[in-house]
Amino acid sequence: MDNRDENLVFDDGYGVEKPHRAMQTFKRMWKSVKEQHTRLYIVLGSVVCYTILSVAAPFYSAGIVNRLWENIKAANGLGVAFRVTWEQGGQEIFLLFLMYLGVWLFSTVQAFMMASFAERLSLRLRTDISEKLNRLPLSYFDRHKTGTILSYCTNDLDKMAEALQTGLLKLFTSTGLIIGSLIMMFYFHAGLTLIFLVFIALSMFVTKLFSGQTLHLAAKRQQCMGNVNALVEEYYTGRTIIKAFGQEESSAKRMRLATEELAETARKADFMINAINPAIRMVNRLGQVCIALAAGKFLIDGVLSVGAFQAFFQYVNQSAEPLTEASYMVNAMQSALASVERIYEFLDEQELEPDRKMSEKVKDAKGYVEFRNVRFGYTKERTLMHDISFVVKPGEKVAIVGSTGAGKTTLVNLLMRFYEVDAGQIFLDGKNTRNLSRKNLRENFGMVLQDAWLFGGTIAENIAYGKQDASREEIIAAAKAARVDFFVRTLPKGYDTILGNDIETISAGQRQLLTIARALLANPSVLILDEATSSVDTRTELEIGKAMKVLMKDRTSFVIAHRLSTIMDADLILVMQNGDIVEKGTHEELIRRGSVYANLYNSQFAGD
Amino acid sequence: MKMILRFLKPYKLWCVVTLAVMLLDVVGALFIPTLTAGMINEGVGNRSISVIAEKGALMFLVTVLSGAGTVFGSYLCAVLSAKIGRDMRNALYEKTLGFSDHDFEKFGTGSMIARTQNDVNIVQQAFVWSIQMVLPVPIMCVMGVVMAFSIDKAMGTLLVGITLLVIVCAVFITRKAAVIFGSLQKFLDRINVVLRENITGVRVLRAFNKEQYEEKRMRRSFEDYALSSIKANRLFAGLESLAILVMNLCIVAILWIGGNRIGQGFMKIGDITALTEYAILILFYVIMAQMVIILLPRAKICLERIDAVLSHSPEIYDGSGKMEEVKDTVCAFQNVDFRFEDADEATLGNISFSCKKGETTAIIGSTGSGKSTIAKLLLRFHDIQKGAIVFGGIDIRKIQQKDLRKEIAYVPQKAWLFSGTIADNLRFGNEQATETEMEKALKTAQADFVFSLPQGLNTFVAQGGTNFSGGQRQRLAIARALIRKADLYIFDDSFSALDFQTDAALRKALSKEIQDAAVLIIAQRVNTIVNAHQIIVLEDGKIAGLGTHKELMEQCSIYREIAESQMKGGKTDGQ
Repeated sequence: MDNRDENLVFDDGYGVEKPHRAMQTFKRMWKSVKEQHTRLYIVLGSVVCYTILSVAAPFYSAGIVNRLWENIKAANGLGVAFRVTWEQGGQEIFLLFLMYLGVWLFSTVQAFMMASFAERLSLRLRTDISEKLNRLPLSYFDRHKTGTILSYCTNDLDKMAEALQTGLLKLFTSTGLIIGSLIMMFYFHAGLTLIFLVFIALSMFVTKLFSGQTLHLAAKRQQCMGNVNALVEEYYTGRTIIKAFGQEESSAKRMRLATEELAETARKADFMINAINPAIRMVNRLGQVCIALAAGKFLIDGVLSVGAFQAFFQYVNQSAEPLTEASYMVNAMQSALASVERIYEFLDEQELEPDRKMSEKVKDAKGYVEFRNVRFGYTKERTLMHDISFVVKPGEKVAIVGSTGAGKTTLVNLLMRFYEVDAGQIFLDGKNTRNLSRKNLRENFGMVLQDAWLFGGTIAENIAYGKQDASREEIIAAAKAARVDFFVRTLPKGYDTILGNDIETISAGQRQLLTIARALLANPSVLILDEATSSVDTRTELEIGKAMKVLMKDRTSFVIAHRLSTIMDADLILVMQNGDIVEKGTHEELIRRGSVYANLYNSQFAGD
Repeated sequence: MKMILRFLKPYKLWCVVTLAVMLLDVVGALFIPTLTAGMINEGVGNRSISVIAEKGALMFLVTVLSGAGTVFGSYLCAVLSAKIGRDMRNALYEKTLGFSDHDFEKFGTGSMIARTQNDVNIVQQAFVWSIQMVLPVPIMCVMGVVMAFSIDKAMGTLLVGITLLVIVCAVFITRKAAVIFGSLQKFLDRINVVLRENITGVRVLRAFNKEQYEEKRMRRSFEDYALSSIKANRLFAGLESLAILVMNLCIVAILWIGGNRIGQGFMKIGDITALTEYAILILFYVIMAQMVIILLPRAKICLERIDAVLSHSPEIYDGSGKMEEVKDTVCAFQNVDFRFEDADEATLGNISFSCKKGETTAIIGSTGSGKSTIAKLLLRFHDIQKGAIVFGGIDIRKIQQKDLRKEIAYVPQKAWLFSGTIADNLRFGNEQATETEMEKALKTAQADFVFSLPQGLNTFVAQGGTNFSGGQRQRLAIARALIRKADLYIFDDSFSALDFQTDAALRKALSKEIQDAAVLIIAQRVNTIVNAHQIIVLEDGKIAGLGTHKELMEQCSIYREIAESQMKGGKTDGQ
């Protein structure tokens, strides 16, 4: 999965996105960089000075060259060698040197001041995003893919930082330089300036011509890249099967076909991308040739001085690049703004309702749980649970059974307040859970989910997630109780094995055992197991059950299980169908009743 | 480096032509200011329009020639990079085909995908940049200085000084930048990992009240990245500032010293333009190259990662022996020990058993007891440390892997299907399979649902088979194995995704179909294996019991526990 996010190498910036509310987003961004306003003002001031000096310097140097030339000609006329001295041009050259020093100083100031600007903004937004993540309701995560949320924080922010980093300052200075240079060029010679502008227009046209083609070819290459990507992923994941069925040669053949196709399209796309700069450079150079030709004629005619000739070329160099790059820069800025807009949209997503102020508190819950007339639906339009009521006494083991989609997990989600009920109340030790802070409520629960979540760290760290200060002995004890100790010791580094991105050597069952160890170590008042042993074999499951029974003595536990063998000894079994509880009682009671539960039971334990 | 040369070897001629063409760009860049200078000198000296026009025409020609050359060079560059990219990808994939599971796991699937895709991309990109932006630099420096010397000795010396200064600074900055960029990449990866964990683990971290802790963890990764990034930006700012300073100093020095040299008659006024341009060009090329060079260490890491795969010697090699005709015993484990490298505990210890023609052997045991490893060892996905695995009368290490696997039909634990049609997937098991054979295999595998699909055998299968349910996928994987004529059929926990009725029906059909081959079933449910000819009970990698269901129920406590954990109300009637 990681790889797809990384495919930025070929994001050439040719796909242009436009912001929907540019002005609004811009204003908000201005607010986001509040603490950097002074910095921006200083930079702007510096840019103004920089531009003035940059435009003035060639003009001044033109005068120097002219004077030098006059003096040299005069000296040559007298038949003596000319030397630059303090009086003879030296002063002016020194002043020019000071001007250049000024240009350097201001450019250095603004470059260093801006070096941290974009990164500070992106750090700020990243932090906002991470805090936002914790305030979002779980339903948001149900509705959005991980990759999408991830890309706000990585792709979008990186794009923005990159564009702002070089773009913003360039935008300031280029605007100044283009205007200043054009004015000076017109001042020196309007005709030459017109030639220059014609060629600029031409190179802009060439850019446009190329970028249309490039966009098309880059998209095609992206598609081929996607094909190869899919194939590579598929073949690497299914490699045991390829080998087991002796399909090595035929898979390699298909791979070669796909890479050949990729090479073909990549060649075309790369050519367009690589050739665009030389092509524009050629147009610009042709322009310079024409300018030089015309300028040479004006020089002979005496319309243009030697100094002006040289100064004019300096202005050409100063403004040609920003002008041809203008459209690219505007695009980059627009994309950046669009990225930021997406981030602001994310930050504006509806949040969890804040915890109530007059919060009560439950410490070390006894484990009395009650659902009273609870109604709930994941969406407003569709109510899943209509009227759920039941009571659990401290120390009881409650089992929730039912088919997929019956609402078993939902019940637990409501208890943990991952979602809020639409009507009715849920009580823990007699207190309405709505009146507790979420933090306080969850302190009393330990939870193991079917989808075993492990993070990139050592196995020991993963087990100790709920109890950071746990000793190694405690960790090993928890692992033993969860029947995963032997397996951990078969791993190359035992408890210090780092679980990286590819946790391939660890099966789903073993991952579940690790998360069970984690919950056991946290030692909660109420334990919730949501299909926690679905990938574990029955005997191990039974053993864990026994170990847990000792550990969870006198504590309430909720068990959601597909296999009924796990829950036959429960004190209360809730049978759910379509969001509602259709039967409740002990195993014996429900079997005697011979209805939903009994059918389920018989279907699972049918012999040959 | 050596590796990239190896991949370039087949395209030697292309490389030479590309380099030659890239030269044209440099020549063109330097020639234009030279001609401009000539023009000024003529213009102020002889006042001859025709000379100017002549120089103009020459300039025009040079510009067009060098421009065309550079564009052609870009084309050659694109061709070369496409070719080496393709060759690298193919080489990587073909190399991994010879890898054992263990070899492959050393890299990991995710990393292997990244190496085949992203790493190659980055290497390609770096290759193009190097040819276009780095290689012309030394040529530019040398030619620029030579041209300056041809105008005037003093000015040539000045330019040598400036070039050296620029290069020294560039080397210094590049060194520093390489370090920063290396850590920048790591911090970015870290952000990705931490964020992904926070999103996928949102329930867990909320259940454990870890919000604040995670916020801190995220913030730390963001700050590390931001600080490093700012450092890198400052370095670039320094580079830019330096470039401007050098350029300005250069212009001033050329004016002052140049003025003197003109005054003394060593050069002409127009040469000032030419010299300024040479200096700026050298500076420009060096700076551009530096931007690329800073990114090269990353490409180097990618190249090393690719090389690590290509130069990895697989732990498993083919033997040259031949299998005998399978008579009674199809395969046998003889005192086999197996342990993963560096592990404290052996995964399997002292395993001995044999599978006979027409008989079913079953393996049962806890999660992680080493059941699947036995299947993988039989297929020779790993090599054992002690003992021997014999197939068709010969140690499997003495024959070709291909020949061994030809005789085995395997249903893996995780039913992975390939994208394509159902028929494509079945042909995986037997390329020549006819439609009738496919239908028969599907029927035996209880995959009759295929026939009720509108497109039947031609139904599209998504990557991994995700458009089918777990049970359907499992049955298709079974059909894929059944279509193969083999001496040994291995079912690695293939029945647990099926409901009890299908499981029973499938086993009944199987026993009819497979009569003269051996069957190895790895199972979790006792029901699945009660009728097996022999059952092996595995516990922590060792055989804890071997016999029929009846025997084991009497003698083996672990087996009894497993059975009891699955029997109705804890009764053990064996049915």
